[in-house]
Amino acid sequence: MSIYVVPCCDSESERGVRAQLSALTSRMTRHGPCGEYAASQPTWRLWGEERVDGAIYTVYLKKVRYHRPTRSASSESDDEISHLEWETVRVRFVKAGTVERLVEALATDDGELESTYVNVFLATYRSFAECSQVLDLLLRRYEELAMDDVLPAATDTSHQHRKTLVACLHVWLDTYPEDFRQPPHHPALQQLLAFTQLHLPGSELHSKALQKLALFSAERNGVAGGAAGGAGGGAGTCLAAGMRVPAHHTSAYRLPHVPHRHFAEQLTRMDMELFKRLVPHQCLGAVWSRRDKDRSHDAATVLATVNQFNAVSFRVISTVLVEPNLRPVDRSDILASWLDIARELRVLKNFSSLKAIISGLQSNPVYRLRKTWAMLSKEKAELFEELARIFSEDNNRWAQRELLMREGTAKFADTVGENDRQLQKLLHERGSPGVSNGTIPYLGTFLTDLTMIDTAIPDTVADGLINFDKRRKEFEVLAQIKLLQGAANAYHLPTDPMFDRWFDSVIVLDDREAYQLSCQIEPPTNPPKERRQKKIIDSNNHGHRKNDSIASTSSSNSSQFYCETDGAGNAWKRDSLERRISPTRLSHGSSSSSIPSLDVSLSSANSGQKPANGKIPGMSPAYPNARTGPDFYIIRVTYESDCVETEGVVLYKSIMLSNNERTPQVIRNAMLKLNLDGDPDGYTLAQVLPDKEMVLPANANVYYAVNTAYNLNFILRPRRNQQDEAIVNGKAKNKRT
Amino acid sequence: MREYKIVVLGSGGVGKSALTVQFVQGIFVEKYDPTIEDSYRKQVEVDGQQCMLEILDTAGTEQFTAMRDLYMKNGQGFVLVYSITAQSTFNDLQDLREQILRVKDKDDVPMVLVGNKCDLEAERVVGKQQGANLANHFNCVFMETSAKAKISVNEVFYDLVRQINKKSPKEEKKKSNIRKPICQLL
Ligand SMILES: Nc1nc2c(ncn2[C@@H]2O[C@H](COP(=O)(O)OP(=O)(O)O)[C@@H](O)[C@H]2O)c(=O)[nH]1
Ligand SMILES: [Mg+2]
Repeated sequence: MSIYVVPCCDSESERGVRAQLSALTSRMTRHGPCGEYAASQPTWRLWGEERVDGAIYTVYLKKVRYHRPTRSASSESDDEISHLEWETVRVRFVKAGTVERLVEALATDDGELESTYVNVFLATYRSFAECSQVLDLLLRRYEELAMDDVLPAATDTSHQHRKTLVACLHVWLDTYPEDFRQPPHHPALQQLLAFTQLHLPGSELHSKALQKLALFSAERNGVAGGAAGGAGGGAGTCLAAGMRVPAHHTSAYRLPHVPHRHFAEQLTRMDMELFKRLVPHQCLGAVWSRRDKDRSHDAATVLATVNQFNAVSFRVISTVLVEPNLRPVDRSDILASWLDIARELRVLKNFSSLKAIISGLQSNPVYRLRKTWAMLSKEKAELFEELARIFSEDNNRWAQRELLMREGTAKFADTVGENDRQLQKLLHERGSPGVSNGTIPYLGTFLTDLTMIDTAIPDTVADGLINFDKRRKEFEVLAQIKLLQGAANAYHLPTDPMFDRWFDSVIVLDDREAYQLSCQIEPPTNPPKERRQKKIIDSNNHGHRKNDSIASTSSSNSSQFYCETDGAGNAWKRDSLERRISPTRLSHGSSSSSIPSLDVSLSSANSGQKPANGKIPGMSPAYPNARTGPDFYIIRVTYESDCVETEGVVLYKSIMLSNNERTPQVIRNAMLKLNLDGDPDGYTLAQVLPDKEMVLPANANVYYAVNTAYNLNFILRPRRNQQDEAIVNGKAKNKRT
Repeated sequence: MREYKIVVLGSGGVGKSALTVQFVQGIFVEKYDPTIEDSYRKQVEVDGQQCMLEILDTAGTEQFTAMRDLYMKNGQGFVLVYSITAQSTFNDLQDLREQILRVKDKDDVPMVLVGNKCDLEAERVVGKQQGANLANHFNCVFMETSAKAKISVNEVFYDLVRQINKKSPKEEKKKSNIRKPICQLL
C-alpha cells in the first residue's frame, strides 16, 4: 500500500507543518480526530484494535480515491476523472503505547510526518514524559535509522523517516521554545546542538538551535529580552516611582461617568496581552488542577488570566459598594455604567471581562441590593438579562459554547438570540464595524473541560501503556485555545496608562468586607441567627482546629491583587505571604479584617479632593444586631519614603479598621499591605490632618482614636532612633531605596 | 420531571470532579465527554420518583472566586466535600458554608457534608467523629465516600434530592425542556 493515508504534509518545510496545524485546528470540532472522521466521513469504518509489543492501535478502513500512480502528476487534463480509482486502506491511530512507541509514531510506517499526531504529541507530552527523555528518544531514533543506511533496501524510507524527525524538531523548537529554556545550562538545547553538529552540520536546524541558545543566554545575562515574553516582562502597569502622575488625572475615571467604549477597549487590551501570553498546555488538568505548591509556576500564565478576571469582578463589586451613602438611583447609575461597558465588551467579543463584570454584578453583595437594582431602567435590566444569559450554566454552558464556536474566529460579533432585544438593537446601531476584532474566551470553560477530561479518562490503559487517546481528547480543547489566541492578533487597541493607573487604584474588598458594606447599604431582611451560635459551639468542639477563617485565605482567597508587571511569580509570593501571615493576624481576633486585601490607591495628599475611597462610616443603626458586622472604617495608609513628597502624590493602600483593633494590630495590617517585614513595634502610625499629624499612642483603640472629621489617611514610618530625633516631620531616614 | 441543581464545593484536590464523574457516568467512565450538553446530567429514581439531576462542578474554576456566588445562587442542594487525608480541606468548609447561607439568605439549605477518599484509611487525618461533629453544627447529613472505590457516591446525591423534596415539595413543574445533545457520537 503506497498511498498516503494520513493528512499528508510537505515535510520539507515547516511552513507546511504550520499550515497543517491551522487547517487542523480550524476544522476542529468537539470530536476527536478518530471520532470525527468516523462519524462524519462515510468512507471511514472502524476495523478494530491492533496490539503490538508496547502499543495499541485503533484501526480504521478508509476508502480513498487516488490518481493512478503510473500517471505523471502533471496530467491534470480533462481525462483526469477516468483515472480516479478507489482503494481501501488501513489507517492506524496510536491509542496507547510506551513513550518509546509514541516517539516512534511521530513518523508513519512509511516515514512520513503525521502532522496531527505530531501536534497532539508536542502539546501534551509533558503529562507523561520529560523534555529530555523525549529528545533523547528522538535523537536516538535518528541515529538508529542513520545506521540502517548501509542497507540499500531500506534507504528510501529511512531517509524519509529521518527527514520527518528533523521536521518534528523544527516544529518543536518553533512551537514550544520554552521547553528548551531550562536555565541556567539549557541541557536539552545543548544536547540537540551536539547532535546537529555531528549529524547535520550547517543545517537549518543547527542554526535554529544556535539562535535559540544565543537568545537564552542573552536573556540570562539580562542583555536582550522582549522577544520571548517571559513572565514579568510585560508593559509597565505598576506605579514605578517615575511614572506617578497627579491624582486629579485619574478622577476623569470615576464611575459612573466614564467613557464606556474606552473602558471596554482597555480591559480588552489587558486581557489580550495575558491571553496571547497564555501557554495552552498549562491549562491541562494534570498541570492546572493537579498542581501543588511546588509546581505552582507551571501554571503561571493561567493563574495570571484568572487573577485578571477576578480583579475585574472585584472592581465591579467595590465601585458599586464603596460609597455607602449614595442614593439608590445614583448607585444604580454605577450598575448601568458597568452594563454599558459590558455591552461594549460584547461587541469586542471579549468574553472574559464580560463574564467578569456579569459575575461581579451577580455576586451576592451587589446582587442583593434590591433597591438599587429596582432603579435600573428597563432597557438596562433587559441588557443585563441578555448578557447574563450568554453565560448560563444550563445544558453545560451550551449558549456560551455555541457562541464561541460561531464567533470565535469571525471578524466581528453578529450572533444574538431572538429574545435578545437590547443586543439586537446594539448590533443594528453599529452595523458592520470597519475594524475586525479578535476573540477573548472565558478561560474557565476550557479549564473545566480539561479538568474533567483529566479526571474521567485514565492516564494509562492495560499494561501501563500511556493512554494517548486521552491526549487527543485534550488536544481538541488546546487546539481551540490556540486558534483563539491566533485570532486575538486581530485586536488593535491603544494603550492608555491612565486607565491602568485607575484600575490599580480601585480598592479591593474581600468577601466579608463586601458583604458588610452591602448590609450597611441595605440591611438583610432575614437576620441569620443560627450562624452565630454555630461558631461558638464550633470553637468548643474543635478547639484543636486553628480557626476556620484561616481557610478563607486558601480556598476563598478573593482578595488577591493582581498587577501585571509583578508577573505571576510575585502573585504567588503574595499569596503565600498572606497564608503565612494570616494565622498571626487571626490570633488577634479581628474577624472583619481576617482576609488581607492587597490594593493600591492613588491620590494627592494635599489636594483636599475627596478621594474615591474615602472613609466609610460604621454600619447603620437601622440594623442593631451587631453580629452581621462590627463597625469599621476603611483607612488608607502610606509608607513614608522619599518619593512621597517628590511629586505631590502619595501611594496609599487601603485596609479595614474594625472597632476592636489596637495600634499594634493596625500597624501589622498596614505592614502586610505595604509588604514590610519586621517588628510592628519598630513603626509608628499617624493620621494626616490638614495642618498636622496625629501620632497614635502605642496601644490605642485606633477606631476611636482617629479623627473622623477628616480623610482617613495615615502615614506609617519607622520609629525614630535617638540620633534621628532631630529630623522633623516626615524627613526621617528610611532604608528603602 | 423535576430538575435538581446540585453544586459540589470544596477545596482543590478533595475529589469533587471524581465524585461528579463517578455519579454521572458510573461505570461508563471511558465514554465520558465533558464538552457535550448532558455531561453533567443524570436521571435517577429516588423513592419511586424520576428526577433529573444537574451537577454544577466548579472543577478547574475554583480560583475564579467571583463566580462562586452565582454557583451558589443557582444551586438547590450542596455537597460540601473535604478529603479525610487533608485537615486544611476540612477547615475550609466553614467559610464555604457561611458563604452559601449568605448568598441564599437562609439558615437552612439542603446540604450534605462529605468526607471523601475514605479508601485511604491509612492516610486518614480527619477522624470520622470530627466529620460527624461538624455535620452536627451544620445541621446536615454526613457521609464518608470514596469516588475511587465507589463507596456511597450515589447516596450523597439521593439524600440531597430527598432534602430538597422535603424543603420544597411543591415546586413541581419547572419546564423540563431538556435539549437533545447537539453532537451525539455514534
Ligand atoms: N484514593 C482516592 N483518591 C481520590 C478519590 N477521589 C479523588 N481522588 C484523587 O484525588 C485527586 C483529586 O481529585 P479531583 O476529583 O480532581 O479533585 P477536585 O479538585 O476536588 O475536583 C485525583 O488524583 C483523584 O484521582 C477517592 O475517593 N480516593
Ligand atoms: Mg477537580
